[in-house]
Amino acid sequence: MVLGEWRAQPGRTLAAILAIAVGVGLGLAIHLVNRSALDEFAGAIRSVSGAADLQVQAASSAGFDEDLYPTLARLEGVATASPVVELRARTDRGEPLTVLGLDPLRAAAVTPNLLGGGAVGGGEGGVTTAEAVFDLDAITLSPAALQQSGLRVGDRVRLSAAGQSASFRIVGVLEGVSGDRALGVIDIAAAQWRFDQLGRLQRLDLRLSPGVDRSAVERLVQERLPPEAALVTPQSEMRRTESLSRAYRVNLQMLALVALLTGGFLVYSAQSLSVTRRRPQFALLRVLGLPARGMLGQVLIEGVVLGLAGAALGVVLGVALAELALRLLGGDLGGGYFSGGRPPLVFTPLAAAIIFGLGVAIAVLGSLFPALQAERIPAAVALKTGSGEGAETAGQPLPWISLGLLAAGGLAALGPPVGGVPLFGYGAIALILAGGVGAMPWLARGLLGPLRRLRAPPPPIALAIARLWGAPRQAAVALCGIVASTSLMVAMAVMVNSFRGSVEDWLIQILPADIYMRLDPGLTLDPEAQARLAAAPEAAAIEFRQSFNLRLSPDRPPVQVSARGQAGAGAGEGLPLVGRQVTPEGLPVWISEPMARLYDLSPGDRLTLPIGPGAQAQVTVAGVWRDYSNQFGALILDQAAYTRLTGDAGRAEAAMTLAPGVEPATAIEAFRARLPPLIAPGADFAEPREIRAVALRIFDRSFAVTYALEAIAILVGLAGVATTFSAQTLARRKEFGMLRHVGVRRGQIMQMLATEGALLGAIGALAGLTLGVVMSQVLIHVVNPQSFNWTMETRLPWPLLASLAVALVATSAGAAVLAGRGALADSAVRAVREDW
Amino acid sequence: MLAGPPPLAPPLKIANLAKSVPGGRLLFSNLALDMAPGEIVAIMGESGVGKSTLLNLIAGLDRADTGRIEIDGADLSTLDDDARTGLRRDRIGFVFQAFHILPHLTLAQNVALPLILARRPEAEALRAATVMLDQVGLSGRGQDFPAQVSGGEMQRIALARALVHRPALVLADEPTGNLDPQTADVILALLCDQLRASGAAAVIVTHSERAAAAADRVLTLTAHGLVAHGR
Amino acid sequence: MIPRRAFAGLLAANLILPAGRSQAQDRAGAPVFAPVRPGRPLSFPADHGAHPDFRTEWWYVTGWLQAQGQPIGFQITFFRIRTGADTRNPSAFAPTQVIFAHAAISDPAIGRLIHAQRIARAGFGLAQAKVGDMDLVLDDWRLRRAAGGVLKASAGDQAFALDLSLAPTQPPLLQGERGFSRKGPRPDQSSYYYSLPHLKVTGALTREGRRIPVTGEAWMDQEWSSTLLDARAVGWDWAGINLDGGGALTAFQVRDGKGAAVWAGGSLRRSDGRTTIFAPGDVRFVTRRQWRSPRTGARYPIARDIQVRTPGGPRVWRLEPLFDDQELDSRPIGPVYWEGAVRTEGGRGYLELTGYDAPLAL
Repeated sequence: MVLGEWRAQPGRTLAAILAIAVGVGLGLAIHLVNRSALDEFAGAIRSVSGAADLQVQAASSAGFDEDLYPTLARLEGVATASPVVELRARTDRGEPLTVLGLDPLRAAAVTPNLLGGGAVGGGEGGVTTAEAVFDLDAITLSPAALQQSGLRVGDRVRLSAAGQSASFRIVGVLEGVSGDRALGVIDIAAAQWRFDQLGRLQRLDLRLSPGVDRSAVERLVQERLPPEAALVTPQSEMRRTESLSRAYRVNLQMLALVALLTGGFLVYSAQSLSVTRRRPQFALLRVLGLPARGMLGQVLIEGVVLGLAGAALGVVLGVALAELALRLLGGDLGGGYFSGGRPPLVFTPLAAAIIFGLGVAIAVLGSLFPALQAERIPAAVALKTGSGEGAETAGQPLPWISLGLLAAGGLAALGPPVGGVPLFGYGAIALILAGGVGAMPWLARGLLGPLRRLRAPPPPIALAIARLWGAPRQAAVALCGIVASTSLMVAMAVMVNSFRGSVEDWLIQILPADIYMRLDPGLTLDPEAQARLAAAPEAAAIEFRQSFNLRLSPDRPPVQVSARGQAGAGAGEGLPLVGRQVTPEGLPVWISEPMARLYDLSPGDRLTLPIGPGAQAQVTVAGVWRDYSNQFGALILDQAAYTRLTGDAGRAEAAMTLAPGVEPATAIEAFRARLPPLIAPGADFAEPREIRAVALRIFDRSFAVTYALEAIAILVGLAGVATTFSAQTLARRKEFGMLRHVGVRRGQIMQMLATEGALLGAIGALAGLTLGVVMSQVLIHVVNPQSFNWTMETRLPWPLLASLAVALVATSAGAAVLAGRGALADSAVRAVREDW
Repeated sequence: MLAGPPPLAPPLKIANLAKSVPGGRLLFSNLALDMAPGEIVAIMGESGVGKSTLLNLIAGLDRADTGRIEIDGADLSTLDDDARTGLRRDRIGFVFQAFHILPHLTLAQNVALPLILARRPEAEALRAATVMLDQVGLSGRGQDFPAQVSGGEMQRIALARALVHRPALVLADEPTGNLDPQTADVILALLCDQLRASGAAAVIVTHSERAAAAADRVLTLTAHGLVAHGR
Repeated sequence: MIPRRAFAGLLAANLILPAGRSQAQDRAGAPVFAPVRPGRPLSFPADHGAHPDFRTEWWYVTGWLQAQGQPIGFQITFFRIRTGADTRNPSAFAPTQVIFAHAAISDPAIGRLIHAQRIARAGFGLAQAKVGDMDLVLDDWRLRRAAGGVLKASAGDQAFALDLSLAPTQPPLLQGERGFSRKGPRPDQSSYYYSLPHLKVTGALTREGRRIPVTGEAWMDQEWSSTLLDARAVGWDWAGINLDGGGALTAFQVRDGKGAAVWAGGSLRRSDGRTTIFAPGDVRFVTRRQWRSPRTGARYPIARDIQVRTPGGPRVWRLEPLFDDQELDSRPIGPVYWEGAVRTEGGRGYLELTGYDAPLAL
């Protein structure tokens, strides 16, 4: 019977299956792509941190004292410690690369992949690489670095880093370093000597003895770390990367869920229609002795079969999509979070199973209401002729349950994050969606009410209005899918648009100067060099800055501290401040929004910065500023105060305001010429215009896939509307037949259907837009702050919303008319006949 | 038109009518029928003989192979689809076996449908519908919806709808086919009463001898046309 | 002892020499290696310590243990190599000295060697070769001269670990001309070389977590030099035998490509202390049986007769291995060679055979 029903309704069934498939497919594809990308990224991390079990990293490029090396090497449970000098360097052509100074004999035991070809592990064939070991003149480059520099093994390459310059002979290729990571490995002694790092290390890679208690060793290591070093494990590094791209992933996963939910609503539509159509059949079965439970069971089984078919198709679709996406867009789906080549697809059966199950569950859930409906069919009434489809009690639909759901959604939005994930926020969105869709019949009536009072509309329009007003539940069945997908899409679109707008504003506000200069890590300008630069006639004013990372809490990533401000002006001047400000008595600092949220600080609060003598600088929060660049927090303090506290007068960044009439390009030339010769190659100049353009380009590229997915979800929703409309229209053949008999022209019926479709589309659009905007507020004010600790201002993407509404109205009307043509193709004669 | 005098032209005049089904089998040929204004004709016949097809031909919803049908003096073959639709709307009323009441319209709206389609002012149409509902025994039920009424009441509504616009001809296809015998009798009586009251002629296709008995003339449809019943 | 020197030289060749070569001769900051000259008296305990001015140096302990009644051969070796690294580099990581160590046991029950090795650049106290007295550190491995002149050695990894005390029972045996030992036809092809035979061993062998008390007798060589093998040399044979009753036999030969001796030498110290130093013509190695390694395909002459000329007339010692497969593959740091426990009538010791897998081209 199941098959029979589906054979009778292939389009509707197929649409429901496809919707589930698209939902499952998108969800799985996004998961797989992300998994693959993360695996690739983890691999990349491993290839730089090697296969180290634990890693100690310096908080800043200044590194930590090398005495930590023997201390940790001797720790119980540490098998080998590999000391590393890690520098940001540039070739004389200006290409950046990371230079690692290694002790190959130690690295061989901890991070063998950081040694060229065979190196110490290479046996008799490692002639080239054996020469590299201990050769203070030798450098081994990663394939990417080699390609980038255009050099070959045997050439010499001149590198500058940390204000020093040295030349090395390329002796080999780091085959173990994957991706497009530009990396060069030299001897640690050469790195310390040539690049002025004597006594300093930036990293210690640790390999643990087999079978030791890892956390015990971590504790031991932690106890011995100076403040300028931090313990990281490949896992914590992964977590950091994951949290970097989490915003993006959450968005994508949410979109996949949208598609899946839309699928669920389409299943609901299809099953509702099917149950209504089969009322007499079910009634007959009831009369013949099938218990009510049997009806329920049958419809639920249909839901399971739909779900299984859709989910199975979805898994296939998902793998194919993921493969395609990886091929076309790379591991970050264009998000720009993972640099690196195209990662191979990593299939995770567990995730596939979960998403598959979710697809089936949603299909079953979508069938549940129609199933209950089937169970409640009163056999006697249903068997009687004339009470076919569309028999709907004319009572006023009650919005109370929906209002309850909406209220619950509102309350959930106030809930706190759970384990850093805004579960309540997502719950709120789900509740609002459910409430909104549930309120559709009521809303349809409410909106159509005024139309009924229209004076003497043309008969087709009067009929259309009467029908919609009289059968709001049917309208809701047709609309629920599209309302769900539209509202979620609108929520996403509003959020993204608000995000983009806020980022754009923020970029303008945060980058007020004409030119920005930043030196490579390890480089600084001493006061003399600063004065020389400031004396350039091209500059009206130059604000020098110094940035460094500071760990305020052992279990959090370090905060970026920036010393800035011109003489006479506060460091907080020109910042995109949010909320209230205070003028503190002590040393004022301005903290970023993420920092305020992460450390629970507000203006007026005092905190201690571990800088200066005794690492006990007392400061007071003067204000909070919006920051999208650093999720872990940033802090700004006055540069004069910073120099007073730390004695560090060196500056690595500058914001330049140009004298009137000076071209930026000319000014950059002039500034570069005034830099000390060893520093000049390591200086990057940028105009805010470029920075903004790059930032927004990255932003748009990140969300390009989002837009594509949105379009897919909308299309699925529209397809659902079209099929449901067709089904409903085809089911009204008899009505059309009667109308034709009593003297309604074919064209008038078309008009009626078009009006119905357009009105439904308009109701759907209105409901979808309203719900979407409400849900976007949850995304903007709950999900985003709780996930990423930043806020944004709502900006509605009017053109998108308008075109969405138009598309909806047009599709609905079009689908209704198309279906009407099909329904009217049958002669009116047969339609009124008693033949079911 | 509503208040106009009874038409002078015969409400239905059929001559030399032949019709075959798409497969090629001839249903009937040489069929002729002349009806006087206000006359009620019952047509009987075995299943599949083409009774409903005949009704459809009369309604202008189907095309005959040969022959001529005039309704209220208008030759159907000379009219296009829109004109035939207009003719149905203005001059013909329909009663179906399955009632065909629109579930989302009130009873009054259902009854007023032909008037609304004819673009009569809504108030006037609803007034006329209320009057008709009174006449078929559904006083005060105008604001109810079809889901709240029984089968017999459905057919009363259908009768009211068939007559509300004062048609010259009512076509009824098994009007009591879905009703229990008791209700059928009541509806049949009501139908005849209302037809007489409005002066409309009617063709009633039926299997029911009781229904046929209420007609002025009872004919049987055969492959050779209409013949007097019983012969 | 040539084999060890050449072995360390090989190490230098693999790891350090090119740097030394490309920089040493013609660049500022290149190291100047101290020469080995005759007539320098050895003085202890200072000469137990390291001699960092020389290119290579090793402390080489081999011996026989009794573990639960079963004989087990063992070796613990520390190398110090001075590299060609720029001497001006002030970094604490400057790789001027590299420490390499090696440990192995020969258990007939297993039938092949179990070995472990370590290497690190000297520095930070994690790897060092102390000057002034014997104290070698390489992570958790150590060889030092403790109170009373007893050597304390500990080395190993998860598979096995040796934790031994080696007590001298005799004065040091100075090889060659009072410690100046010729290794080739050119006078500069030489080393400082002394041996400590008949070390009394006590301690423990830990195998897969199980600690087994052991006793036994061992032999230690210390040798330092700056010069390498003769150009014609492809490998060498060496044997050091503790003779019953207190005597000690040392024999070595450096072979050319045809297997002929380029140089040979050694000594025989009798239990009364009287010592004969062999000239190149006084020592012959005669092969009785070869063994082919199934892993490398190399053929090693593992059963040898050592024929020497002594003032008391020619003597022959028939060396018989504890078992055949004592091939040691120390790649990639070192070469593939045979280093095994051997016994002879009236003595036990170690035999080393190098250059049989591939010529050691220097």
